[in-house]
Amino acid sequence: MGETKRLLELRGLNKSFGGLACLQDLDLHVDEGEIVSVIGPNGAGKTTLFNVITGIYPPDDGEILLEGKSIVGLEPHEVTNRGVARTFQTLRLFLNMSVRENVMAVQYGGTKSTPFEAMLRLPRARREEREIRRRAEEKLSFFGQRLVGYRWDQPAYSLSYANRRRLEIARAMATEPRILLLDEPAAGMNPTETHEITELIGKLREEGGYTILVIEHDMHVVEGISDRVIALDHGVKIAEGSFDAVATDPRVVEAYLGLRKAQTK
Amino acid sequence: MVAVLWSKFWDLTVSGVTLGSVYALIALGYSMVYGILKLLNFAHGDVYMIGAFVGWFALDQLGGPLHPSATAWIVVSLMFVVAMVACGFLGVVIERFAYRPLRNAPRIAPLISALGVSFFLQNSALLVFGASFRDYDTFHLIGGRTFNYGNVYLSVPQILTILSSIALMAALTLLVSRTKIGKAMRATSFDREAASMMGIDVDRVIASTFFIGSALAGAAGVMFGLVFGQIYHFMGFLAGLKGFTAAVIGGIGSIPGAMLGGLLVGLAESYATGYLPQGSTFQNLYVFALLILIILIRPSGILGKADVKKV
Amino acid sequence: MADELTPQPPPDQPRIGVDEWVASVEEKREQYSGPIGRLRRWWDQAPVGARLLVFVVPAAIFPLVTTEGNLFRYGLITLIYALLGLGLNVTVGFAGLLDLGYIAFFGFGAYTYGYLASGHSGRHWAAEFAIPVAVAVAAAVGLAVGLPSRRLVGDYLAIVTLFFGQAFVVFVNNANRIDFPFVGHTDLTGGANGLDNIDPLKVFGWKVNTTKEYYFFTLGAFVLVMVLLYLLSESRTGRAWRALREDPLAAEVMSMPVNRLKLLAFVFGAAIAGFAGSIYGAVQTGAFPGDFDVGLLITIYAIVILGGAGSLAGVIIGALIVNGVPELLRDPNEAEWVFYTTLVLLVLIKLRPWRRLAVVVGGTIALGFLLHVVVGAAWSRGTAGEPGEGALAHWVSHWMLLPSHPTQIANWAYGLMIAAILMLTLLKGWWRTIAMIPTIWLAAFAWENLLVVQTAGATRFLLLGALLVVLMNARPQGLFGTARVEIA
Repeated sequence: MGETKRLLELRGLNKSFGGLACLQDLDLHVDEGEIVSVIGPNGAGKTTLFNVITGIYPPDDGEILLEGKSIVGLEPHEVTNRGVARTFQTLRLFLNMSVRENVMAVQYGGTKSTPFEAMLRLPRARREEREIRRRAEEKLSFFGQRLVGYRWDQPAYSLSYANRRRLEIARAMATEPRILLLDEPAAGMNPTETHEITELIGKLREEGGYTILVIEHDMHVVEGISDRVIALDHGVKIAEGSFDAVATDPRVVEAYLGLRKAQTK
Repeated sequence: MVAVLWSKFWDLTVSGVTLGSVYALIALGYSMVYGILKLLNFAHGDVYMIGAFVGWFALDQLGGPLHPSATAWIVVSLMFVVAMVACGFLGVVIERFAYRPLRNAPRIAPLISALGVSFFLQNSALLVFGASFRDYDTFHLIGGRTFNYGNVYLSVPQILTILSSIALMAALTLLVSRTKIGKAMRATSFDREAASMMGIDVDRVIASTFFIGSALAGAAGVMFGLVFGQIYHFMGFLAGLKGFTAAVIGGIGSIPGAMLGGLLVGLAESYATGYLPQGSTFQNLYVFALLILIILIRPSGILGKADVKKV
Repeated sequence: MADELTPQPPPDQPRIGVDEWVASVEEKREQYSGPIGRLRRWWDQAPVGARLLVFVVPAAIFPLVTTEGNLFRYGLITLIYALLGLGLNVTVGFAGLLDLGYIAFFGFGAYTYGYLASGHSGRHWAAEFAIPVAVAVAAAVGLAVGLPSRRLVGDYLAIVTLFFGQAFVVFVNNANRIDFPFVGHTDLTGGANGLDNIDPLKVFGWKVNTTKEYYFFTLGAFVLVMVLLYLLSESRTGRAWRALREDPLAAEVMSMPVNRLKLLAFVFGAAIAGFAGSIYGAVQTGAFPGDFDVGLLITIYAIVILGGAGSLAGVIIGALIVNGVPELLRDPNEAEWVFYTTLVLLVLIKLRPWRRLAVVVGGTIALGFLLHVVVGAAWSRGTAGEPGEGALAHWVSHWMLLPSHPTQIANWAYGLMIAAILMLTLLKGWWRTIAMIPTIWLAAFAWENLLVVQTAGATRFLLLGALLVVLMNARPQGLFGTARVEIA
């Protein structure tokens, strides 16, 4: 039949902090297998969007459906177990744990052995431990030679900035999500690294089969990866469509560059 | 019958306000230090205790309560001054040795350091002053005169405590809001890094904060001695705990909050002792229960500001 | 693909700005030097079993080479404190929760065991039943306290748990006077006099009687708990705890149920404390309210933090120091050696270059002798006092002033010493170096005339306090802790 499933759907989402409206009546959807980018000037509500989806803040109003089922009101770890994984704009790695441990730790939600089973090294615990380790090494190998071998045992704080970003993504992958939320994955990267990230996101879809929702400022990245682009400003969706359509939309230009620039374009 | 109850109420209230004034001064030290360093100075209560002992020592050196070498008011003033100055400097030394090297350490390290300081101070007092209680013997020093207004009876030490607390707190508020160092303190408590980049000598500001907070604790120690008479080397622990409770109730980091919190704790303790069953045995528990209640209702304290963190 | 874009430098040169160089710099920084460095490196890569043996073998030999009194004070009590430390390590070290009421669980364990097996209560359960019940009770209480508190963060959890700890002490102090609604007047805990006549342990028929037998039992219990905790820390729960300690928000978002994990750590810690408590009750043949108050809480916290929160081996070292040092200092003779050795070490380590060291040491010795001669000549009472016991004290008495009525002047000297230390911090450069001479002399004077008299009492705790401050200064992450990178 070929009907693409709506993996994530937001309807009429509202979120205010005190008097500040961060999300206003937002409708958004991501189909299975898509890569959708969210753009907008700073303060547009993009990270708040991610925080609300993952359950860190409850929405004031509206629906969030994952594969048709509502995830509003769930604790963040429950949201992750349902299949939503995210990275953080400011990188929140477990710095004092090793690289491998970072990716192993996040698989907690997908495993079941109890502390007693672990202490007595019962079969289920041993089996799950092997599986966790294998999956961690598998996800880390996704990034080529960057995060393999001796790296696995090094503490996360010893990684360079670009590698930390990669580790952050590897962690998200290890939770075996249905959809990946990437918050500014190319922030702070030089042109070479940016190019790598763009290729990587494509690879995530092609080889990993992930559906991806990306927040990004770097238009090269957005252009290179997106099936669809959504532009936000002050919590309101102001444009949606292909990259070319959105990039030249006068409202988007005005939001980024001001009214006069929009008029002269 | 009603008259008895009514006068009991006023007695308890006066007692509570007096106690509350002492707690407020202790709480101020906690709040100020927390505001600037986000650190709970667990040695603060022991600084208070040292203040009480230094005050007693000054009294002793000036002839003692029975044969003071000057009029009572001069003696008492000197006690205050000596205690405040000594405790101020003690606070600076503590900061310098126990906290400054640990500014970038995990938060629990200064805690252990503070405990070490606490041990050191308590046992120093034990060593130098011995294990027996020391008495201020206020009766012989100032006299047992009471003043009354209707049903409200106040003894001289109580009046002294309440008035001088108010004076000190007023002075502190003026210092923080009007002077340059006060401004520097406020800036440093908002954002230490930014303050140092704006030319504020952060080390100096922190040392001043400790000086002031500790001096106030020293004054509180002398007041306690004057009102309650007996001091002992372990008194810092419980008083420090209650001062800390007061600071949290009022909103830690907030100066008016510390004052309010101190008052509330003093009144709560007084009323609990007077009215609730088994009041004097369980008085500390009632105070703690009050604390937990307030935290549950208003987690950042009555006058505190919630720490809003950007995710 | 990236490799095609960046020019490749020769393989033996560090590639500045690229990952590997950064990583190797970190590695170099972590390598330690000298003999201690060799020891640490061996320790880091030794297999876990070997590390356990390093502790177990000397511990097992200890009873054979020491007196019973020493075995009790240095061995058994250290082990019990270390066991308590292991439990606190789970709550504070693994999960980062500040539980200030922890000792109450210890008390619950002791009182429960006493309730089930004592002359006071009339019940005489065997240990293999009584101990698990005590552990279960402590765990249940931990659950009861932890459940409403699991949403509390940091300092607020500390406050609530502190309250609980204080409430426990007040309760057991007064629980012999309570009138329960149906049961009537019961004596649950013996009140302020404590629950006495607790039975010694009877484990599967073996009656534990002597100190040595208790020691080995406790050693076994300790090793068992250590092994179980190690296995737990290398599991999904252990990793989740560590992640929770690092960054609770990130852990929560990354599939870890943070509140539930906090509760689990809390309960685990409580259970271990209960276990230690039941053993302690049997050892002391009684449970007394004063044993479960803040003093012990501080001691156990010091043990855990000193050793390095999160480190199992650190707890052992922490217990040895925090319990061993005050015991060692009880005897004035030994204390004398400890004081001067520490003083000399401090000066040697902190003062570089050699010239400064020489000036200070020489100056202090010279000052001492000078004062001894001058004061002795001018005022005979200045040196007429009694020297302490032991050879070292005798030598020192020729150098230091020992007034015959030292109390008043020693007190002043103590105060002056503190003021002098303050002065030291305000001075810089050579002035500071010169100021050290009278400061050190004052310290020795205060020691000889004031502190050394009270080593069994105030002095040893005073020194323990100073030791804590010094150790935290030297190594804030604790002796076995890893230098942590903290998010601001």
